[in-house]
Amino acid sequence: MGYAEFKAPKGVIKVELELSGDVISLISLSGDFFMYPEDALEELERTLVSVRTDRGSLLEAVRRFYDSTGVRTPMVEPEHWVEAILRAAGGSR
Amino acid sequence: MNSSVVINITRKRENPPTKWRLLPLRVDDAFMSMAIDEALLKLNAEGKSPNTVRFWRWLPSTVSIGCFQSVEREVDLGTAKKYGVDVVRRITGGGAVFHDYDGELTYSVVCRQDDVPDDIIESYKLICGGLVRGFERLGLRAEFKSVNDVQVNGKKISGSAQTRRLGSVLQHGTVLIDPDVRLMFELLKVSPEKISDKFISSVYERVTTVVRELRRNLGFDEVMVAMSEGFADALGVELVEGELTRKELELAALLKPKYASEEWLKKR
Repeated sequence: MGYAEFKAPKGVIKVELELSGDVISLISLSGDFFMYPEDALEELERTLVSVRTDRGSLLEAVRRFYDSTGVRTPMVEPEHWVEAILRAAGGSR
Repeated sequence: MNSSVVINITRKRENPPTKWRLLPLRVDDAFMSMAIDEALLKLNAEGKSPNTVRFWRWLPSTVSIGCFQSVEREVDLGTAKKYGVDVVRRITGGGAVFHDYDGELTYSVVCRQDDVPDDIIESYKLICGGLVRGFERLGLRAEFKSVNDVQVNGKKISGSAQTRRLGSVLQHGTVLIDPDVRLMFELLKVSPEKISDKFISSVYERVTTVVRELRRNLGFDEVMVAMSEGFADALGVELVEGELTRKELELAALLKPKYASEEWLKKR
């Protein structure tokens, strides 16, 4: 189980994850950010399962989530989620 | 306070200002307060509740956490239990807040989405502008700090959180009058990431209060009147005193058990 925090311009993103090889098998996101609509966070978690923990794959998955849901996260960008996840993945290896 | 027309900002305009409802100060436990806010949001979205501004206090004192936060990571539950402090999860994002019954006033604004800017930060700026004007009426120079804070002398004096559902907006937030700051930081687990980023050794230096800035004691009524006038001014509306309707109270009673449940509290 890996855990890490990353401070985005608005909000600390907290990531807890489990890896199977270099692929995410379980992920839980929490923190004091804002997301509209709120229930989209669960969808982001579902989107990230089975994604490889390299920067390119993660960024593609998170951007796809933003595009498909139209979700809004003031002062938190796709890159910030990726940075938080990479830190957690690094800690779990 | 006049019972019919509370706040009437005189301004040069062709049409009379839109009327919003102002509810009298309530004192409730955390679960009821959260339930009332959600009831107002839902019923406003259904066209069954008017745009509303309200103020309330939390009894007992409570830590509220943002809807995305993990309660165990954010709150020292042992300390909360020791001091009889309730813990509740909000339906709004943002951070954990200590609501001290003796030193903190909470507000809510519920309105139609169309009555505030679609841009999220702009909508915070508009509603928080009511607080800024309220603090100014109390004699403080305040400024909006994006996304959701109001600062005085560079320190946070108010934090807000907003959600949007089905065409309506709920924004609620805190006005720090004179809370027990020591207990606040004993209850909240402050992230080292957050502190280190600000290059500040002590968390005490990030937060201030109305009493500390004004160097005098003042009552909840005085703050509430100033904030009501501030909201009326910033929103360009007339606030007319009203009551919660039976429908609103009934829905709140239905929603309350969710907020009191372990399942909701430990959702993350």
